[in-house]
This record gives sequence, structure tokens and C-alpha cells, in this order.
Amino acid sequence: MNLEQHTPRPYWNSYWAGFGLGLVLLASFVIMGRGLGASGAFTTAVATVVHQVAPAHAENSPFYSEYLGDGTHSPLKDWLVFEVLGVFVGGFLSGVLAHRLKFTVEQGPRSTTPRRLAFAFVGGGLMGIGAKIALGCTSGQALTGGALLNVGSWAFMWCVFGGAYAVAYFFRKQWI
Amino acid sequence: MNPLTELTLSRHNPLVDPTLHVWQWQIPIYLFLGGLVAGLMIIAGVRLIAIRPTQREALVCCTIGPLAGLVFLSLGMFVLFLDLSHKLYVWRLYTTFQITSPMSWGSWILLLVYPALAANALAHLPEAIPALAKRFPVLIAWSDFILSRTRLVVAIGIANVLVGIGLGIYTGILLGTLGARPLWNSALLGPLFLFSGLSTAAALLHGILVLTSSGEELPAFADFLLSSLTRLAQARPLDQKVAPVLAGADNSFLTIELGLLSLFLIGHLTSTAVHQQAATLLLSGPYAAVFWIFVISLGIVLPLILQTLELQNSIRHTLAPALLVIFGGIALRFILVYAGQQSHWFHALN
Amino acid sequence: MNAPFYKFGLFGDEASFIIAFLIGIGFGFFLERAGFGSARKLAAQFYLRDLSVLKVMFTAIITAMTGLYVFSRLGMLDLSLVYLVPTFLVPQIVGGLLLGVGFVIGGYCPGTSCVSAATGRIDGMVYILGMVAGLLGFGEVYPRIVNFAHSTSMGQITLPQLFDLPYGLLVFAAVLMALGAFAASEWAEKRFGGKQPDPEGSIIGGSRRLTPVRALALSLAVIGLCAAFAGDPYRGHHTTIATRDLEMRVGQGADLIEPAQLADWIIQDRNDFRLVDLRPQKDYIAWHIPRAENFPLASLTPDFAAHNEKIILCSDDSLEAAKAWFLLEAQGFKSVYVLSGGMQGWKDFVLFPVRPQGATDAAFERQAQVAKFFGGSPQASNTEASSVATPAPPRVAPAPLPTAPPASTSTAPPRKKKEGC
Repeated sequence: MNLEQHTPRPYWNSYWAGFGLGLVLLASFVIMGRGLGASGAFTTAVATVVHQVAPAHAENSPFYSEYLGDGTHSPLKDWLVFEVLGVFVGGFLSGVLAHRLKFTVEQGPRSTTPRRLAFAFVGGGLMGIGAKIALGCTSGQALTGGALLNVGSWAFMWCVFGGAYAVAYFFRKQWI
Repeated sequence: MNPLTELTLSRHNPLVDPTLHVWQWQIPIYLFLGGLVAGLMIIAGVRLIAIRPTQREALVCCTIGPLAGLVFLSLGMFVLFLDLSHKLYVWRLYTTFQITSPMSWGSWILLLVYPALAANALAHLPEAIPALAKRFPVLIAWSDFILSRTRLVVAIGIANVLVGIGLGIYTGILLGTLGARPLWNSALLGPLFLFSGLSTAAALLHGILVLTSSGEELPAFADFLLSSLTRLAQARPLDQKVAPVLAGADNSFLTIELGLLSLFLIGHLTSTAVHQQAATLLLSGPYAAVFWIFVISLGIVLPLILQTLELQNSIRHTLAPALLVIFGGIALRFILVYAGQQSHWFHALN
Repeated sequence: MNAPFYKFGLFGDEASFIIAFLIGIGFGFFLERAGFGSARKLAAQFYLRDLSVLKVMFTAIITAMTGLYVFSRLGMLDLSLVYLVPTFLVPQIVGGLLLGVGFVIGGYCPGTSCVSAATGRIDGMVYILGMVAGLLGFGEVYPRIVNFAHSTSMGQITLPQLFDLPYGLLVFAAVLMALGAFAASEWAEKRFGGKQPDPEGSIIGGSRRLTPVRALALSLAVIGLCAAFAGDPYRGHHTTIATRDLEMRVGQGADLIEPAQLADWIIQDRNDFRLVDLRPQKDYIAWHIPRAENFPLASLTPDFAAHNEKIILCSDDSLEAAKAWFLLEAQGFKSVYVLSGGMQGWKDFVLFPVRPQGATDAAFERQAQVAKFFGGSPQASNTEASSVATPAPPRVAPAPLPTAPPASTSTAPPRKKKEGC
């Protein structure tokens, strides 16, 4: 087996990474006429599973039915689902090439693993709810809508930063 | 005569247009498992012949592989059994041998797989899983019996290779003989499924080696699970040196699979309109996205790249190629079976 | 080049999924390269130690924004075809605040959690599980808050439309704001994070050389500056429609004009309106209302008439007329009307009027005169055997009329479809 120790490479400069991300976003606009997204794919997945378990319930719900399509093909055959699949692959590729693959828990020095995982779960839940109320997450709203000068997206973006800075103090033990 | 009756007789009678039994998840899963077992057998057989051991070793290819193969084969047979309409009449397959029927060939080959795999597994079992040998000392006696006779070892190896090739090709021919489905009308399906099975088998063994190698960083829970498992079995460390060989072999298999897949599609595209339409189901039709993404990109190209980088030692050996190849193998069977059932002689008429 | 390619039908749905996958790979790759697979790096943003989130996000936003502007301005891309998420202001503010709180607690956003899970971060995987749980819970609660979620709807609206400022000017403003934010965040990183700015990779720190990063910032600023003066990127004529006003006019039927009134105007030879016949040229040649001009739907360009003219649309097909009406409204024509009942209405009420029950002789006399003016003839009403004013004439249609009206004209004229498109 591979005995040589690979050390993780440093991250890219933020501006160049952002420039690359901007080009990907621009490519999406030019090729598809739409921006990037993330939370929509998970919603589709959840709606599909709910539809499998309780078809009547999913079809009657105004929330799930929006993500089920017209029923001619699987709801998972959706643009965002394939895009997010690509995000996983792209993230993995970048990580493996820079030797950053590691099973670990990201936390500050004063945090404990169980608490960190519980917080991650709660944070994920809040994000899921918030993203659905706001019709998008940081990718679908802030990034995409930001580049399109969308009114709602800019309001959303400032509120994300505002909300985060407002409560950051109370969660400092987790991170610093 | 009533014109309505005539109309009914000419086309709408269910026996005029052949209605075929619709295959669901059972058949692709069975085909996948069959191919995987075929691959495991061939690799085990080649390894057994190549080392011609007189001493016992803890060999991943010759012990873990065949044991896993026995489990997978039983699972596959069970799944196939679930798909049968007349479950109680399975035994009748073994009262006859029809030389032109792939079903008949298959059922007899399946019967040969068990002893061949079991013999291969037995040869080195006591070393790989000492706890089992301690409880059943007869295993050591059997192992000694096999290893003391070089010719028997070679015979077992050759038997594994031959039966494995037969099994792998049979899983493809099984589809190929169904004339009513134009997509499957290709003799290339046999070798295609054989090499796909070989690549999944090599990937599985490589994955097992990655999981059990000590130098890897594993998450705490996975490490705990694995260590308790190995403690239970009191296994010796497996032969890690074979990992690069397996990765290299897997790369060759994947490359050949990709070539066969291209030939398969080119063959269809240069054939009749019906076959061209069948091929476009995969290339640009309703199965294009899943075919290009799951079978080609994720199932073949990405693991090829990752394993090449692993072999060059520029990245770590990870579980990812193994998972991708196995997933790609499953996807290939599913897509071929589903798209095949959608391909139809009558579609070309519109 | 006609972009967005997908919207112009260069490839189908299946190919779009493959493109989605490739774009996703790029997205994930750059997120991971930026360090966004690590919750600590992301969360450091909110303790002012490491402001990569802000830098990466705003660089991406202004890169895509200026790129979009340049492509649209050069006519290579139709900006109006790029999908814009509609604005629901209050829900988006509330959702944004929730997301911000969730960001600090969970350490990721949905996109970055995928990258972190793909690189083995267990907290990222747990985060995704939490998100799925949140979505499930939300799905169950949603029917009860659906009114809130749909409140304060502003439609698809951009900042330039909201402030009524040129698009390019706001692009420039956004670029300037982003560059200012970069400078501020580099200062904050130095002040709170104790990070010495890397001379190669920062905008304000280090030497005075034109490093590649500074060149990038400078070129974005230059494009922004050009954009501020280069005009509107939208390809088509762009307008806002006062939906409330539209609603009122359609609701009151103020968008319709009765055939009798049109007949009066034509008789009076008024020249303050234009009568537009939407039918195909063949039908128009066969017969048409006097003074009508033939403009099939496809030829209704924004410059076919002066915008302040009164335009009356007539057609066989009420749907066609409705489409034209909405198209012209959207193109900024101020007073557009549809001939009520269309060509059939014209025949029924002007050319071959039937004496209504209880109508006075004088009124019907007038109708008959109008009909004669246009070459038609009044019809006897169903109940009365003969009319006083005009004995039933032979039912020979005048020369330009290819079809005689149906004997029974009791069917109501078709109402035009109320909604626009």
C-alpha cells in the first residue's frame, strides 16, 4: 500500500477561487440560462422519498407536489439533482488531488465532538427551513441572484450576514 | 363478420403482439451479482495458479474473494428465484439439458460454481480466518489435502477460471438471445458483462484491502467496527502487496469494458434502423443522462483516473474507486435491462 | 452566438443533465479549493479571523455579473431569458436571518456541506442529515405558513428596476462595493486575525507592484466603469407593467370597444385611432372593415405605430386578439382596445343587425342605416315577422362579404380571455 505520507496542500487564494467560481456561474448562465443551486436538490430528494412512502400525502401537499414534476419521469431527473451530484464529485476530486481527504470533525479547540455534531444537525435543520422560506440558499439566492442584481437576493444576502454576525458571539466556543 | 371482431383479431389480441414479462430490479441485480462472482472466480483462479503455494497464506484473492463470491451467488440466486413465476418448479431445470438454451446452460453453470468456489476458498482458509479453523479442525485437514497436491491446486485454479468465464459470458448472452429486444441483440454483451464483472471484482478486492490496511485514517466508528470484526475472526493481515496489482488490473478491465461498450454501441449504430434507435436510447434518448453520468463518467472514467493517480503514488489509495466501479457495474446492468425493455421492433415503424 | 443556449433549444433535457453534472463538478471543485469544505474556515468569517467567505462570494458575484453584462451588451446573450427567482421580500428576509443563524451553528451552507461531506468531514455529513430533517419538518408545516411564504410578492424584479437606475451603473456600484469590502476584510484579517497580508495574494497589503490579484481587481473595476456608461444590457424592449391598473381595466371591460361605437367613429371619419386587422393577409383581402390595416400578430413590433395612438384590434380569433392586446400593452402602447366579438361581432351587430326585442323603431332605424352604410342589411328579429322600418331584404350578402350571417344570432359574442399570457 501507499506508504508515503501526503501532506494537505494549502487552499487557493480566495480571489482566484472566487474568480473560478464566478466563471462556473457565468458558464451556467450562458449555457443554461439559470444559476447554481444546492438546497433544491435535497428538497427534490426528500419529496421523492416522501412520495415513495406516502404517495397520497406527497401529492396533496403544496410543498412536495411542486418538486414531483408531472409524473412522466422520476422527479430525481432534475437539473439541480445532477448539479449537486457534480458538486460532490468536484469537491471529492479537488480534495483528493490536494490530499485533503480526511475523516474528521471540524471544530474549534474548545469544542467537543458530540456537541459539534449536534450543532451541525441543528444548523442543517435551520438552514433547510430557512432556504425553503427564502426560495434558495447561499448558492441559489446569494450567489446566483447576487450576480443578476435580483432584489430579493441582495436583501437575503445581507440578512444572512446580519443574522450570522448577530448570533456569532453566542457560539464562539464552538469555533475559536 | 362484425368488423369490430376483425379488428380485435388482427392486432388487439394479446397473443398477437408478444407481451413480455416485465423485468424489474431483480434481473439487473442478479446479472450484476453473477458478473461479480464470475470476476471473483477468475481472479481467484489466476491467483491460485500464479502462486502455486505449498504453504498457506492469508490471501485476499483466494480466500476472502471466493467466500464473498459464495455469499453473492446465493444472494443472486435468491433474487432470481424471486423473479420466477413458478417458484416450485425450479428443480425441473435440472432434469434436462438443452444445448440451445442459455437458461439451461446457466442453471448448470451455476451448479458448478459452488464447488469450484468452495474448493478455492478452502485452500487457504485456515490462515485467513484462524478462528474458524480452530473451531472446525477438519478445515485444516482439507486445506492440507489440497495444498499437498500441486496438480489439484492447478486444476482448481483452471476450473475457477473456466467456470468464471462461462458464468460471466452467460449473464450477457442471457439478454442477447432475447430477439424481441433490439438493444440486446449483440454477442458483445457477453464479453462486456464478463469484463464489467472482472472490474467490479477487482475493485471489491481492492476496496477490502484499503479498508483493512492499517495505515489508513478511518473515522473512529468505522475503525471500531472493523477492529471488532477482525478480533472476532482473528484474521491475519491480508496480503497488501497485491493492492497495486489489483488496481492496475482493474484499470485494464475498465479500459477493455469501455472499448467493448463503444463497440457494442457502434455495432448498433451501424445496424438496422431499429438497432440505431435502440442505441440512441442510451446515447441521446431518455437514458442518456444516466448512461453518460453514472455508467461512463462515474462508473468507468473517474475510477480509471483515480486508480491511475493511485498507481503513480500521487494520491492515497481510497475506497472511492471501489465504490464507484461497483456502483457503475450496477448502473450498467440496470440501464441496459431497462432501456432494453423499452427498445422495440415496432418503434421504428412510426 | 445566441445564449442562453438551452433556452434557444441548442440541446435537450437529457444533455442539460449532463451539463448540470459538469457545472456541478466545477462548482464543487472551486468551493473545495477555496477551503469551503472546512467548517472552521467558513465560520472564521463571523469572528473576523478569515474573511474568505466574503472574498470568494463577492469575487464570484462580480465576475459573473460583469461577464453577463459584457455578453449581453455585445448581443451574445439575452439577459431577459436568464431565470430570475421572484422576490418575496419579507419571507426572504426572514429566511436569510434563519440561514445566517444556521450558518454559525452548523458551520456550513447547503452547497459547502456537500463538499465537506465529499472530503470526509463527518460534521458535514451530519449537517446534511439535519438539513434533510429540517426539510421534512418544513414540508409538514408548510401548508400552515403558505400565506406567509407567498406574502410581499414583488415579482421578478432587479435592483435597476427597483431604483430605476441604469443597469450598468449598478454593476459598477456592485464592483466598487465588492472591492471596498475586500480592502476592509483584508484590514480586518490583519486587525482581528493577526494575519499578515500575503503580498502576492492581497489587494491592499505588501508591495506596490501590479500583482495578478490586483490586475484582476483592476480589470473588474474597469469593466464596471465602462458598464456604467455603456447602456442597457437587455436585448428586447424592457418595461414594467402596472398590474393593478391592468387588472382594473380588464375587470371593468374598459379594454373592449363595442362594434356600434366603432361603426360610429368610422362614419364620423374620426382619425384619432388606428384599426388593426390581425387576421392573415388572405382573409384580409377577402373582406375587411373599412379603414382597417392588416398587421398579423408577428408583425406587431414596438415601432409599428406611435405609442400614444389609440389602437383597436380586430380578429376572428378572440385568443389571437387577446395575445396581441397584451403584447402591445407590454410594448408600452398606452391605449389598446379589442373589438368586442371580433369580426363576427361586427357582422352581427353592424352589418346584419337583428332587431332586439323591445327596441324602439327609431333605434333600429338608425342601426339599419349604419348597416346600409357599410353595405350590410338589417335582419328581421326572431319574434317579429317583419320589421316596420325595412322589409326583410333578400339575404344576399354584399359583394365583399363572403359569408352570410347565421340566421339565429342569439349567441353571445365571445368574450376575450381576461388574463394576459
